[in-house]
Amino acid sequence: MNRQQSTDGVSVLGGAETAIALPDPRSIAEMALNVVERALEDAELRWSDIDAVVTASVDLFDGLTASSIAVTEVVGAVMKPETRIAADGLAAAIQAVHQIAAGAYDTVLVVAHGKASMAHHWNLTSWAMDPIFLQPLGVDFLTVAGLQADLIAGSDSSIIRRWAELAAHRKRTARGGIGESFTIDEVLESPVIAAPIRVGMCAPLGDGACAVVLGAGGGETTGGRAVIAGTGHDLDSHHPGDRDLTEWAGLRRACLRAYDMAGITDPAVAFAVAEPSCLFPHEEALFIDAAGVGEQTVLSPDGGLFAGTAPAISGLGRLLRATKAVKGNSGHRALAHGTWGPAGQGQAVAVVEAR
Amino acid sequence: MNPIAVIGTGQTKHSKARLDVSQPELIREAASAALQDADIGPDDIDAVVISNMEMFEGRAFPELWAGEGAYAFGKPCVKVATGGTSGTSACIAGFHQAASGEFDTVLVVGFEKHSEGHTQTGMALVDPFWDRAVASGALGNFALSISQYMAERGVTEEHAAQVAVKARRNAANNPNAHLQMPDLTVDDVLASRMLAEPLHLLDMCPQSDGAAAIVVASEETARRRGSQAAWVRAATTRHDQPYLGDLDRRLVTMRALRDAAQAAYTRAGITDPLREFDIAEIYEPASYAELAWYEALGFCKEGEAGRLITEGVTAMDGELPVNPSGGVLSTNPVGASGVIRVAEASAQLLGRAGAHQVAGAATALATGYGVYAWSDVIVMRTEKP
Repeated sequence: MNRQQSTDGVSVLGGAETAIALPDPRSIAEMALNVVERALEDAELRWSDIDAVVTASVDLFDGLTASSIAVTEVVGAVMKPETRIAADGLAAAIQAVHQIAAGAYDTVLVVAHGKASMAHHWNLTSWAMDPIFLQPLGVDFLTVAGLQADLIAGSDSSIIRRWAELAAHRKRTARGGIGESFTIDEVLESPVIAAPIRVGMCAPLGDGACAVVLGAGGGETTGGRAVIAGTGHDLDSHHPGDRDLTEWAGLRRACLRAYDMAGITDPAVAFAVAEPSCLFPHEEALFIDAAGVGEQTVLSPDGGLFAGTAPAISGLGRLLRATKAVKGNSGHRALAHGTWGPAGQGQAVAVVEAR
Repeated sequence: MNPIAVIGTGQTKHSKARLDVSQPELIREAASAALQDADIGPDDIDAVVISNMEMFEGRAFPELWAGEGAYAFGKPCVKVATGGTSGTSACIAGFHQAASGEFDTVLVVGFEKHSEGHTQTGMALVDPFWDRAVASGALGNFALSISQYMAERGVTEEHAAQVAVKARRNAANNPNAHLQMPDLTVDDVLASRMLAEPLHLLDMCPQSDGAAAIVVASEETARRRGSQAAWVRAATTRHDQPYLGDLDRRLVTMRALRDAAQAAYTRAGITDPLREFDIAEIYEPASYAELAWYEALGFCKEGEAGRLITEGVTAMDGELPVNPSGGVLSTNPVGASGVIRVAEASAQLLGRAGAHQVAGAATALATGYGVYAWSDVIVMRTEKP
C-alpha cells in the first residue's frame, strides 16, 4: 500500500480551544459547546456539515462512566456517528483522519475535554498503573516522571538549573496562561514534588476543552490550506523497569510512521515549528531527540503546555497551534505532539503542512 | 468505506469470575486465539484497538497496563469506550483503521472483568445534576422503557421469557458462553426473582468476565485469503439523547437503531432483512430488548415481535437464527460484548462457529447497543465487494 497517499487530502478546516482556567466554573458540556460553536465558525461550517464526531476524554478524570455521554448533545452527535478515544486528543484526531482516509466520512469534528480541578489529578493517575506491582507502591504519572528526570539528570549537577531556566522561559513566553511566573531562582526554591522535579518546573494543569474540524480535501481559507500529511502513534511498555526511561522510544516509532507517510527523510530540517506536549522541562530534550527536530525548528512559540493545559486536550491543542503556525506563514511544515500515560507511554504525532 | 474483512476471531471462556487470570492474561487468551484463527503471528499486527469500560473495574487507561496482553507493545494502540456499544465501536474503529490504507492488519480486543469491580457503581456515574438520582443503571431505565413498550406493542411476559429461554439454550451449544441452561423453561424465567417490574432476574443479562478479539484485514490482505474472509459491507453508528426525559418511549421508537439499520441496509443492499440475513448476533441486554430490536431492525412489523419468538422464526432452526451464541443474555463482559457480536457473526460466515454454526451462513448482522439507545449496525457477507 502507499502510505503516503493514505491521508493525502485530510485538512484541518478549523478549531478552537478554551483558555485554560483553574477552575473553569462551567460544566464539561458548557466548555465543550463553547469550543464546538467557535470551531464551526472558524471552519465556516454549520452543524449539519459534520458527518461524524470523535471525542477524547478519560472517565476517571471526569468522574463519569462513558464520559462522552456528557457531551453527546453539545458536540452535535444526536442521531449521528460518534466514537470516543480514551486517550490524548491527538489520538482522537488520528482516528478521525483514519475515518476520512477510509472513505467513511468527509467532515469529522474532534472534541477533547478535561477538568483537572475536580480531583487531585496525579492521585487519580495511580489508578492507571499496574494494580499488582506498581499501584500498591503509590506510583503515579508524577512519580514516574520524577524517576525519569532523576535518571536523566544522573550526576549532571548543572542540568537542574537548565531545566529551571527552560521552565521559567516557557512560562514567561506563555500568553494568557494560568501558571505563576517564576524566575529561575524561584523555580529552584519552589517545593520538590517528585525529586528532582519542583513545582515551578511543571506545566500547570487546569480545565479546558478543544475542538478541531477535519475534512477531506478543501480547507481553503484565508490562511491557505493546512493538510495533515502524516500521523503516527505508539504504545510503549508500561513498567518503568521494562524500558529505557532516558528516551522516548515510543515517540521515535510514532515519528518514523508519520515521517514515512509524509515523505520526510530528514526531520532535522523538515519543521519550522514543533508543538510538543511537555509537562516538565526534562521531556523537551526527550522530544527533540526522538522527533529528530533540528535547531531551525522553533519549539512551543507560545510557551507550549507551560501556559496551562488540561487532561486529554493537550495534543489536540498542539494540532491547532501547529495548524495556525503553517497557516500564519510561520513556515511550511509543523509537528504536533500528544502523549498520555506514565513517562510518555502513549505517544502521538501529526505532521501539518501548508498547501 | 473502503472494503475490509474480518479474517480471524478469538474468545475466552466467559464466566462469573475468571479468578485464574489477570486482565492482561485474559486479553492474551482472546488475542492469541484470534491470531491463531487468522493463522498469523503478533508481528503481522500493525495496530491494536482495545475496548473496555474502565469504571466497571474502577480504573483508568487499562490498556496502558493490559495492552501488552494484546501484543500492543511498540504498536499504535488506542482504547475506545462508548458504554454498551464500546465493543462494536472498537470494531468499527478497527474497520476504519484497516480501510484507511495506513494499516494492513488491525487487532481489536474487547474485555471486561466485572468480578474485579462493582458494576452498579460504575453504572451510577451518570450526569450528577439530573439523572444520577433517578435513572442510573440499566435496570431502572429498562423497566420504564419496557413498560411503555409492552403497553403499546402487546408484548407479554411470556414472550420475553421465550427469548430468555432461547438464549440460554443456544448458549448450551457455545463452549465459551457464561450461562448455559439447556433445560431452562418459560416457567423458570417467570418464577425467577423480580428485579424491577416487569424484569425478572432471568430476563436480564449476567455480568461476565471475558474477552473477545477479531483480526481486521485491509482489502488487499483479505483478498489473498480467498473464502477465508468475512467482508464488512456496512458499518453505521447513531447516538441519541442521553437524558431519560428527552427521549420519550425509547424502546418503542428505537430511532437510533432504526436509523442506523436503515443506513446500513441501504449501503449493503439489504431490502428484506428477515429473509436476506442468514444469522443475526444482536446486542440484547434484556429479553424484552430483543423483541424491540426485531421491530427496529425490520425483522417484522411493529407489534409482531411476540409472534416471531412464539413461532420460532428466530430459533436455531427458524428462518433467521438470532444469537446462536446465546447473546448478551448468556454472556456479558461489557467491553467485550460488542466484539463478541462481530466475532460470532464473522465466525458464522467463516464456517468456524462449531456446534452453534448455522449451515451455509453467507449474510450476517451484528449490532451494538448502549443504555442511551446508542446503536451500531454492521452487515457482513461472505461475498467480496
